[in-house]
Amino acid sequence: MSTSRFKVKALSWSPYIEPVDVATATEEQLAAMQVTPSNTKVSAYVRTLAHDPESYVARTKLFNAIMYAKGGLDRAERELGALVASAVNRCVYCASVHARRYVELSGREEVVEEIYVRGLEGPFEARTQAIVDFCRALSETPSRATREQVQALRDHGMSKAEIVDLIHSAAIFGWANRLMHTLGHSVPVEAK
Amino acid sequence: MGTSDLDQMDILSGLKPGSELYAIRRERPEFVEGTELCRETVLSPHHGFGLGHALRAALASRMARFIGREDLAAVYDLMLDEAGSDPDLAAIASGAEPAAVDAFTGAIIRHADLVTKTPRDNSRTDIERLEKAGLTNPQIIALSELIAFVNYEARVLAGLSLLEQVE
Repeated sequence: MSTSRFKVKALSWSPYIEPVDVATATEEQLAAMQVTPSNTKVSAYVRTLAHDPESYVARTKLFNAIMYAKGGLDRAERELGALVASAVNRCVYCASVHARRYVELSGREEVVEEIYVRGLEGPFEARTQAIVDFCRALSETPSRATREQVQALRDHGMSKAEIVDLIHSAAIFGWANRLMHTLGHSVPVEAK
Repeated sequence: MGTSDLDQMDILSGLKPGSELYAIRRERPEFVEGTELCRETVLSPHHGFGLGHALRAALASRMARFIGREDLAAVYDLMLDEAGSDPDLAAIASGAEPAAVDAFTGAIIRHADLVTKTPRDNSRTDIERLEKAGLTNPQIIALSELIAFVNYEARVLAGLSLLEQVE
C-alpha cells in the first residue's frame, strides 16, 4: 500500500524548427490554426505543424474522431493505447499528456506507475495486460502483433468494434509520436 | 455490394464486402473517410512544397517495405509507376541503399528510414541535417506527416488483418 499517489508531471513542448508566426501566416495557415481576431493564442505545436496546413487539418480531424468519437471503446482504454504507443516510441511529451488523461478517466494510477517505473512487461490485471501486449507489439513492429493477442482482447470481453477503436488509437500514436518526438522535445511547464 | 465498395484498407486487410468487420468499419465513417483524406494530403497534396507526388509514392513504398507490408508497398509501387518513375525513384522504393542521389534526396531518405525504424532515437541533430540539406520548414513538416501516415496506415492494416482472423 502506497501512501503517496504516483503522479505524472504536466509537460510543455518545444519545437526544433521555427513555428509559423501568426502575424505573417497565410490565409490557409490561419484557417488551419483556427486563428480569429478573438483567438490569436496558438500553441507552438499547432504553429509548427501549420507549416503544412492541408495535412494538419485532415490529421486533426481524424485524430479527434479516433480519440473522442462517441460509443465503442471506453475512452480511458483509448488513452491506454496512446500511452503504450508513446512508451514504445519514447515520446515523453505524448506519454505525459495521455498518462494523465488515462488516470483522469480511469482513476488507475497504479497502471501508469507500473509503466513509468518498470515498463511495459507488467504484470497488469488481465484485460489491461491484453491491451498493453497488443498495443506494444503493434507499435514496435506491426508484423509481430499476433492473432493470439487479438484473441486475448476478445477473451477479455472486448467486442470487434471496440478492438477496431483500440487498433486506431494505438496506430494514430504511431503517427503522433513520429511528429512530436522527432520535431521537438518536452520541456517543464515552468520554462514556457 | 461490389468490390468497388472496398477501399485500400479493406483490400489489404483481407476484408470482403458483407463481412462482419467490413460492416463494423463502416460504423466509424470518420475513421474510414478520414484515413483516405489524410492519404491524399500526404501522397497527393494540392500544395506539395516541392516534394513531388512520385517521390512521395516512392518513399511510401520504401517505408511500407521496411515495416514488412509488401502488399502495401506494391500499392505505392503502382502509384509511383502511374506518377512516372525513374531509376532513382525505383531504387528508393525498392528499399536499396541510396546510391548517387543528391544531398537533398539523400537526407530525405535517411530521415524516412530512421523515423520509420527507430523513432525513439531521433533527436534535434536529425532535423538539423534536413535543414543543412536544404529542406524548408514546410518541407520538413510535409515529410514528417508522410512518414507518420504510412506508419499509421501499416499498423491499422496489421490490426485489422489479425482481427479478421479471430472469431
